[in-house]
Amino acid sequence: MELFFLALLFLLMMYALGSGYPVAFALPGSAIITIILAGMAGYLFESDSGAYFIQGGPTEWLTAGVTNFRGIYWEVERDTLIAIPLFIFMGIMLQRSKIAEDLLVTMAQLFGSVPGGLGISVVFVGGLLAATTGIVGATVVAMGLISLPAMLQNNYSKPLATGTICASGTLGQIIPPSIVLIILADQLASAADQAATARKELYKQATGQFTMPSEFNIVSTSAGDMFLGAFLPGILLVGLYMAYILIAALIRPSIAPAVHYDGKLLERTFIFKVALALVPPLLLIFLVLGSIIAGIATVNQAGAIGAIGAMVMAGYKLREGSTRAFYPAIMTILSLMSIWAISSKFNLNIKTITDLNDWYGLILVTIAVVMLCTGIAWSGWRVFKTENTLHDVMSETAKTTSLVFIILLGAAMLTAAFRAFGGEEVVKHFLSSLPGGFWSQFLVVMAVIFLLGFFLDFIEIAVVVVPIVAPILLADPSANVTAVWLGVMIGLNIQTSFLTPPFGFALFYLRGVATKAVKTIDMYRGVVPFIALQLIGLGIVGFNPNIVNFLPTITFLSSETAPPPKNPRLQICLENYQFEYYAKNEMLFLQHLNNLKTINYEVLSRPQTKIIHAAIKDAENIFSQISAIQSIKIAMDIAAIDYIPIHTEVRSIEKTIRRYDAEIKKLRRDLRATDSLAKRQNITSDIAELDVAITQQKTLIPLDWKQTNKEFTTITAQLQRERQKFRRASDRAYSDILKLIQAIDEIAKLIELDNKIHQIMKDGVFDDTSLKAIISTANVMDKIIGGTNAANALANARRLLESDEDNLNAVQQELKTALRVISEELSWRQSAKTIMYDKLSNFEIFARSNLGLREQRHLTPNQVDAIAPCIADHRNISLYF
Amino acid sequence: MTSTSKNNLFQLLHFVGLSSAILSFLFVLNNFLIFIFGAPGLINTVNLSNAFGTTSPASGYSIGLFYFGILQTVMIFAALVFAGYCALLKSDLQGDARQLDWFSSYIVRAAFWAVLIVGITDATLSFLRVEGFHNYIFGEFGGAVIALPSARGLYIHIPLIIFGALIALRDKSVSLIWLTLLVVVAEFLIVIARFIYGYEQTFMGDLVRFWYAALFLFASAYTLKEDGHVRVDVFYAGLKLRTKSILNIIGTLFFGIPLCWLILVRGMWKKTSLINSPMLNFETSMSGFGMYVKYLMAGFLVVFALSMIFQFTAYLLQSIANIEENHSDDESSEEVNV
Repeated sequence: MELFFLALLFLLMMYALGSGYPVAFALPGSAIITIILAGMAGYLFESDSGAYFIQGGPTEWLTAGVTNFRGIYWEVERDTLIAIPLFIFMGIMLQRSKIAEDLLVTMAQLFGSVPGGLGISVVFVGGLLAATTGIVGATVVAMGLISLPAMLQNNYSKPLATGTICASGTLGQIIPPSIVLIILADQLASAADQAATARKELYKQATGQFTMPSEFNIVSTSAGDMFLGAFLPGILLVGLYMAYILIAALIRPSIAPAVHYDGKLLERTFIFKVALALVPPLLLIFLVLGSIIAGIATVNQAGAIGAIGAMVMAGYKLREGSTRAFYPAIMTILSLMSIWAISSKFNLNIKTITDLNDWYGLILVTIAVVMLCTGIAWSGWRVFKTENTLHDVMSETAKTTSLVFIILLGAAMLTAAFRAFGGEEVVKHFLSSLPGGFWSQFLVVMAVIFLLGFFLDFIEIAVVVVPIVAPILLADPSANVTAVWLGVMIGLNIQTSFLTPPFGFALFYLRGVATKAVKTIDMYRGVVPFIALQLIGLGIVGFNPNIVNFLPTITFLSSETAPPPKNPRLQICLENYQFEYYAKNEMLFLQHLNNLKTINYEVLSRPQTKIIHAAIKDAENIFSQISAIQSIKIAMDIAAIDYIPIHTEVRSIEKTIRRYDAEIKKLRRDLRATDSLAKRQNITSDIAELDVAITQQKTLIPLDWKQTNKEFTTITAQLQRERQKFRRASDRAYSDILKLIQAIDEIAKLIELDNKIHQIMKDGVFDDTSLKAIISTANVMDKIIGGTNAANALANARRLLESDEDNLNAVQQELKTALRVISEELSWRQSAKTIMYDKLSNFEIFARSNLGLREQRHLTPNQVDAIAPCIADHRNISLYF
Repeated sequence: MTSTSKNNLFQLLHFVGLSSAILSFLFVLNNFLIFIFGAPGLINTVNLSNAFGTTSPASGYSIGLFYFGILQTVMIFAALVFAGYCALLKSDLQGDARQLDWFSSYIVRAAFWAVLIVGITDATLSFLRVEGFHNYIFGEFGGAVIALPSARGLYIHIPLIIFGALIALRDKSVSLIWLTLLVVVAEFLIVIARFIYGYEQTFMGDLVRFWYAALFLFASAYTLKEDGHVRVDVFYAGLKLRTKSILNIIGTLFFGIPLCWLILVRGMWKKTSLINSPMLNFETSMSGFGMYVKYLMAGFLVVFALSMIFQFTAYLLQSIANIEENHSDDESSEEVNV
């Protein structure tokens, strides 16, 4: 019955959307109707309003829906959504103040003389400025209005012109800072959470262990990551488009003729005009994106900077021609510069400020801030006064924000209904029953999204489809894709869908604003090459996940919160890096190690000598350990050839069995709930059938599976053990040598302590000051390697002093003991310093990048560069599940 | 379908729409009367608490509250009678639509002014408190009032909200759009405080969230009025005004209005429901020194639902009017905006 209501939900939704009722209400409305109908039907026919739900009843699910509404703004976790109105404000401000238009016109003049130059400018501007409005329609319409007449006037062929406009209008959807990326990030983050739970469950079922190693975790996403991830694919597409236009123009100059600017290109006024039109918007985008990429500002803060920046730019743009046009902008820039200058000279952190000098700095900077705010407010006032621009921008922003968020809200209700009727299970079942594992699932999902793209806008797809399918795709350990990659692929896919005739959104919108002279068939012909380019782009990004993952990974690894080299997530890649290093530099390493071996360690105490010899031996053994690991890896690869097919098969059988088990459980619940005899019989026979099915499934499992599985897990366990050994040996060898160096480094400290104790003894009077001196000396001593004995003696002396009895002699004795220990420690250290210090520290510095890599606090930038591609790649981990 | 039966249907729709709108307002009003002052409300007055799963005090109601309950009941029936009068006798679709539209914008405007004043005031108070200035400025007692969520709600927020509602009576513009600029400015202040003065506090983020939630929830009715909510217009764009109006009537009745009612009913049925519970307890965010306005953010959903019901009903009546007009002088296809 749940399936019936699921179908009803679907039909109602189709009707509601098809009837053209606003999506934001069509989605939740059909969900509410279906839930209420199901509740009533259950009450009538089964006298239980929850009978037709997968669990719970209508009131629970309706409440869940309303809770989801509130969830959009209720918790701090979803604060990135705040960036949406900020970026919309920025985008609309740039459009309304004609900055975008100006940029296009100037670009066209600048590059017009290049073949296809006008088209290339359209792509560039489209990619740059379309980004901020999340609605395809708005972007394409704006681009069509501005650039289509210009292109046609300059005798561009109609197909090429319309194709370029449609393609670059949709391009903005995936080029950051785009609001759909923020929404995708929001949805994918919660999908990744769900997927992580599912994967942990899977691991538990497959291995019987309760905790999954954290290196198998799913890589989640945030709005910042999403921006970073979409950046290179976006550039790639822009590049493809531009290359296509350029090549087309070179082959057939008639379709994209060069446009000659009448004036002189090198005239001073023209250069000034170009700079004025190009530099500020580019600088703003650079500032906004740069501050996110560099990890300086959050996405929201960058959005606010963008919005304010756009307003300042509008402030002079709207007064173009007036001599005073630039006053507020100049004021803003000057105060920004002085703020920067002041903050580099003074400590301005208001919480930690103490110095009087810094207080002057604070006053100075506050004056600058007031200037800055005045400049901004002045610009704002102009925008408010001129042609009602501010009012229009605010009104547009309010409407666009509301439409985006109310859809989010409506989709939350829909998702609740979809879950209520077991829709998630249905989709999961369908996808997992597809042959071919992850990639066939992925292709089906992409195809469905592509088709949906004909009817729904980006935001609707992101909020309706992504929460349903993304957890399933992300949980799959065989592809182990990152959430960012999935998001970017979905983004590229939807964007292609918008271009595809006969339904593509972009085509409709452009049709609406294009003149009658442009035939629809021209547009269809025009977008075909761009669809091909899109598919090429999809293919490139699909097969090279690094294009997406690289930037987020490298930013993460080099950020201040980067994980230390010991972090489990990095281990595999770190190991590859180390192996490669050892393979290349074996001789060098042995040479350095030999230097250690030639040292005469006689001055050291026996245990110390032992430790050092053990460390050298460990270091020598590294190569045999590496080859051991590698041979096990090869053995695993060979074993996997036979193991993978059986493993996949058995796991899918087990999945089926688990599903049957769940069904039986549900039926048993129903059995307890019902009194009707006929129904009881029905249910019992259903259960019996399922039991039979389970036994049947169990017979399908190959008899030798247990044995095969055991053999294979033995290999993986062995590999794990060898890896542990290798890591432990490296860590120990390095840190033991390091400790010896540190011990020698303490000579100066020891001498100082020695002097102090001598001083105390020389004074001969044991009063409060000497007591304090003894305590502080003991504390320092305690932290010195090999200083424990001396510290103990000092502690004894202190205790004796505090005990009120007259035992000055005993105190003297203890102090002497301490002195003796110190002098012993000093003597070996001093001879060690001359004999071995240089060699040891040479080795230590050398070993930082190999033997002791895991012991370092941070990876060096070079190391980050070296391992980032490996971390960014998707690694198949299905064999561990 | 004959002209009269169609007319009857339209009158019925007119009645249903109007009564649902007025009842939604009474529902919210009574909700607070019931849960704050212990009034009996309709259900307990006519003694149906068992059927609706509500509770009444075991000791019964005092005489005063009992009469008050009767008043509440009478009000609800009066609302129905009034809706019937408007639909059957007066039947001025356009006029009613204008009234509803005005009321919807008034709710939003009042909410905007309230949110503006409360936001600025509460952020200032939270700043004073987190820096420990509140006791110097307001004295021992005043400081205590500021530190206590319920006191701040009762003695500071509620008067300010009433003040906001009064300002909204004089204000005639679509002031809510200023929330966009407020969000930008509030976030920009965070940027300045963080990057120049190294100062970051919870209340700053709270203020942005407070205004941003208000922005998209309050702007919804305005967006609907301006036909700004996205439609899948593959088919819709090519339809005649009459068909469009019929589709919009169906959509409004079955998708739009139920959504708003759902929010009200699920959010406010019981004391522990998800709008009532935070509002009645003056819930604040967990992070201590933030703003004390989280309970008001639960109330945003009420503003959303009420303003949307009224706007939807106006839209419904306007759509009916469009059909009738279209019918009477066959030609005119001009869409009359509310």
